[in-house]
Amino acid sequence: MNQNKLSSRAIKLLKSAAAAAAVPCVFIYILVSKPDFYLLNALGHVVVPVAHTVGNIVTWPIRAVGESVTNIYDLSHLRAENERLQRELDAARADKNTCTVAIEENKRLSNELDIVHATPQNVIMADVVHDTVALHHSNFLINKGVFDGIKRGMVVTSVDGVMAGMVVDVGGEFSRVRALNDADSNIAVRIAGDEVYGFLSGDGSNTAEIGFFSRPEFKATRGMTVITSNISGVLPNGILVGTMKNNHEVKVLQTDSISRVKVLEFNTNNEYK
Amino acid sequence: MIKNFISFLCKASPFLAVIILWRLQLHFWNPGGVLALIPIFYYSFVRPVPWFAPFSILFCFLIDYSCDTKLFWTTMYFIAYAVNGFQYFIDVQRADKNALVPFMIFFGLSLVILMIINLSWVMIFRCICMFLWACAIYIPITGLMKKVHGDD
Repeated sequence: MNQNKLSSRAIKLLKSAAAAAAVPCVFIYILVSKPDFYLLNALGHVVVPVAHTVGNIVTWPIRAVGESVTNIYDLSHLRAENERLQRELDAARADKNTCTVAIEENKRLSNELDIVHATPQNVIMADVVHDTVALHHSNFLINKGVFDGIKRGMVVTSVDGVMAGMVVDVGGEFSRVRALNDADSNIAVRIAGDEVYGFLSGDGSNTAEIGFFSRPEFKATRGMTVITSNISGVLPNGILVGTMKNNHEVKVLQTDSISRVKVLEFNTNNEYK
Repeated sequence: MIKNFISFLCKASPFLAVIILWRLQLHFWNPGGVLALIPIFYYSFVRPVPWFAPFSILFCFLIDYSCDTKLFWTTMYFIAYAVNGFQYFIDVQRADKNALVPFMIFFGLSLVILMIINLSWVMIFRCICMFLWACAIYIPITGLMKKVHGDD
């Protein structure tokens, strides 16, 4: 009996020692493989799809009930939503003619000023399969991966062309996209219609922030449009990012509002890290 | 047949609880599936189940992947496992309220580290809310687990 107790105690100590030994190994791995984490991501490419499939099977009754409740809620609000969309459509139709004229004017001015707008080499449509907003991080998974030609660093936009994030990890049939309000996101941006540059970074909240502008005397005001800039050589010029909420906060696309996205490949100089 | 199935469910319940809580991620209530740490903690330290530790490591890794926290929760689990094995001061298996206080220490300390790494008002607010919510839901979840195993 005592011998059994002793051996179980020894096994427990051995397991604890193994766990303690794993901690420095993890730290060393993080330090060595920073910032790409190839091994970690490769493991994720195998484990995550399997775990999601198992999770989907196990939780389907709960999710089915949840989806039914959501559907009932959506149906009950259908009439009000329809009225709102009608109003928005009327307003959009009214703006359309002004926009058509502005686009033509913009084309003419771009030609005169020799401005070259980046056009994507490759466009891939994908569905958002899962999104996570966890404390200071915000990212989502899309159902296209390396087999569909997606690469790390590709730009992800909503169907209407608003920037949603950057591809940070690519698996066989899925990719992980870092949203603009993620604490690790930091991209070069410009105020549309002005030569004022800045860097947009997230902090996990619903908005992203521009810490400083290239022109210190510049005062941003609510409603100003923010677009991407190619000053860092990572992003192309001119993708819509969002609108200024106040003098430093930018209203960006929220991950829970996106269901389908475009993944764009540009010929940029530097790699996204 | 039904008895066998129920017995299988009882045996599988620790693993199912983790999978369910990890998969049912919700933006505010269960970000990245972190509530799965409750059954992970309970079945690793309070009511140990054979072969649960490798499973816990796997799901800590999955929580890290969802939250983009780069092995943070996995490391915290390793530390908690090592500390629990080496120490004699707190008997986690016999602690009051299904070891709520040790869980609060483990979860609270982890959140504080995360908060310090990414210090902002939003992060402080979210961490406090997350801590209070996880501690509040710990007792009902572990109570349910006790009932499933007939430990009452």
